Amino acid sequence: MLVLSRQRDETIMIGDQVEITVVDIRGDKVRLGINAPRTIQVHRKEVYEAIQRENAESAHIQIDDLTGADRHVRHKQRPA
Amino acid sequence: MKIQTTRFGEVEVDGNRVIKFPKGLLGFPQYQDYVLIESANPENPGEQSNFWWLQSVDLPELAFVVTDPTLFVSTYKVPIHAEQMLGLGLSAIEDAQVFVIVNKREHVLTGNLQGPLVVNVGSRRGEQLVLSDRRFTTRVPLVELRPAVAKSAAPVRQAVPA
Repeated sequence: MLVLSRQRDETIMIGDQVEITVVDIRGDKVRLGINAPRTIQVHRKEVYEAIQRENAESAHIQIDDLTGADRHVRHKQRPA
Repeated sequence: MKIQTTRFGEVEVDGNRVIKFPKGLLGFPQYQDYVLIESANPENPGEQSNFWWLQSVDLPELAFVVTDPTLFVSTYKVPIHAEQMLGLGLSAIEDAQVFVIVNKREHVLTGNLQGPLVVNVGSRRGEQLVLSDRRFTTRVPLVELRPAVAKSAAPVRQAVPA
């Protein structure tokens, strides 16, 4: 891993379209500003990992797990 | 075309109905082709189910349950940038169908509202998005499947923890 030292308000560039700026540093918290084209998705890694994990767990569902499910939905309002 | 599944055995599907997720689903990048199989609704055989199976064409055991999240969470909206519409080949937002993946925990079906699936119903291409909106988590309760109670018992409201 490339490791760079940056101070507040300093920026690194990734390629020629992505800029990451250290906006603020307080204790063990660093605030980053990110400029990137919309085509590049920027996420907190833990959110991405949570969805991966949830997908993996959800793939274990079996037919029996849905028993009665529709009965409990039926009385809910369907959107117009 | 015929596909093999562990849950439904051999299933005959129309090849034109295949939905392609060019990036796969998160954690499953190698499986890109899926078909939707309507869940059986044994209590009301004539009525459409609210749940569908998103079955991998290539891996028999890989299937997810999906549903329309707005049936459960009326305030749910998925923001789609113009660039993401372009990526899905969407020219009109009406061509987009949003599903969420359903999981079961204890007696509750939960929906992954943080990682919705957006499908272009015209081109049948889809993508799993990652929402930064923290109101919607990966485990939003959708339906409580109450455990079977004795037949003589009148319907009882479940106690709700304060």
